[in-house]
Order: sequence, then C-alpha cells, then structure tokens
Amino acid sequence: MKPDDFEQKLQRQPLRQIPAEWRAEILDACRASSVERREPERLWPSTLVSRLSTALWPHPKAWAGLAAVWILIFCVNFSMRDKSPVMAERAAPPSPEVIVELRQQQRMLAELIGSSQARDAEPPRFLPQPRSERVEILMT
Amino acid sequence: MRGTELERLYDGHAQSLYAFLLNFTRDEADTRDLLQEIFVKLAREPELLAGVRDERAFLIRLAHNAAIDLMRRRGARDRTKENFAAETVSPFAATADPDENIFRDELAAALAELPEEQRAVVHLKLWEELTFEEIAAALDISPNTAASRYRYGLDKLRDRLRPLHEEMK
Repeated sequence: MKPDDFEQKLQRQPLRQIPAEWRAEILDACRASSVERREPERLWPSTLVSRLSTALWPHPKAWAGLAAVWILIFCVNFSMRDKSPVMAERAAPPSPEVIVELRQQQRMLAELIGSSQARDAEPPRFLPQPRSERVEILMT
Repeated sequence: MRGTELERLYDGHAQSLYAFLLNFTRDEADTRDLLQEIFVKLAREPELLAGVRDERAFLIRLAHNAAIDLMRRRGARDRTKENFAAETVSPFAATADPDENIFRDELAAALAELPEEQRAVVHLKLWEELTFEEIAAALDISPNTAASRYRYGLDKLRDRLRPLHEEMK
C-alpha cells in the first residue's frame, strides 16, 4: 500500500531528538546496576546482615533485648567455667594439720550428738491414769 | 552485559525508543525513567536478548510494556492530563516555520487523542516505517489487527488535520 499525500506529510514531521546527556547518565546507571547485581556474590556477609535486619525489622528492640539476654547468659556461663578449675585446685590435697583438726571436730561433734542422744533416750514417761486420780493430783 | 554492547544498543535504538515513549507519556521525566528502566533491565539480564532476531522489535515491545505499566500507575488523573497536548511535551521537533509549528502542535494533539493501541501502531508505521508484520511482532498482535488499528488511527488524524493540511497546500 503506497502512502498517500497526507501520510507522506505526517512522515516528514521530524521527531524530537533525545537529549545527548542522557546517554552517559543511562549507561552509568546500567553499569551501576550490573555492579550491584554482582556484589551479593562477593559480599555475602553484608547480604546476610541486610537480610537479617529485614527479618528483625518489625520488632528491633525486642530482638535486641533477647540478644542482650543471651549475651549475658553466655558471659555468666563462661565466667563460671573459668572458676571451676580453681576450685578443684584448692580442694585437692588437704594438709595433715587440717586432717587432724577435722578429725578433732568430728570427734567433738560425735560427742555432742551422743550426749543429746542420751538425753533424748529418756523421754518423759506418760502413764495413763483414771480421771479421778488426776483430779487428786491437781488438788494436791 | 558488557559496556560496549550496551553502548551499541543505546546508539542503535535509544532515539527510536525515546520518540515512541515520548508519544505515549508526553513527559520528558517519565520517558527518561522508562528508557533507563529498559536499558538497566538489559544490563542486568543480558540473556533477554539471546536468540532475538529483531532487536528493534524486541526493544519496542519492552518499551510498549513499560509505557502501558506507567499508564496504569499514573491513574485517572494523569490520563486526563494526557489528553491536553498543550500542557504536555510534543514528540515533534520545533521549527522556525510558524505554519509548520502549528501543524506539528495540532498533530501532537490529534495523536494524544488516539487510543493508546492505535497511537502505538500509527507511530511505528509512520515514523519507524515498520511493516504491519513487524508491528504485529513488536506489539504481540496479529498483522490484521495492526493494519486495522493503523487505518482507524489515520482516519481520525485525517479528519482532525484535513482543514489545516488543505490550507497549507
């Protein structure tokens, strides 16, 4: 189909030219976007951090509080683990004097227990008596 | 995609895409955003062009889809604005001849009144000089649909511009 006069007139209308400065701007944006796309492969820790922050974003204070509690628990745990060998060292070999002292204390304790046991051995006897006799006793 | 390949694509097709998009958006900033969106997409996904026989048709399809998306995003308020060509950017270059300027302004206004699907076909036929088969491939329609849309669009332009055209003869 051959264009008529009117179509030819329209075709001759020159279109507006693209601004020259767009070329550099758009190509720069393209380069930046390709670099952005490659970066996650290299900088995976930052991606991990950003993903974590996205996941924790709804309640950051709650998550921070929970993290602080866990850190505290770990600190306490580690500090206690550090002391345990020291305690073991201290408890290791008691000196002969200490042994003698301990034995003496044991003996004393045994004596004390023995005497109290002797007292406890004679509980007050309660002999059931008829009521009338009890009244007499009270009267006297 | 390599920088040189992008530069080749830009130098070969950016002007056509710019004119096509500007005829849709009638807004320089929107046109720039869409153009950048298209090239950034190509830079990020170079595999998009793998196996493409007609680069121009493929890029026009990308531009058309991007423009349609923009129209949807704009909403009713801006779509009304689009009908007032006087308030928007003309897709035609300015000239020193006042008569020609009047004709170009009228043509820009008449194009803006066409439905988007007719405007796309008219633009590609008149200023890209694509065949109906190429237009059909670019816009994902049948060649018959492309031809009928062109005929309807051209008739509307003719009706609107005939007095001015006759006067200028």
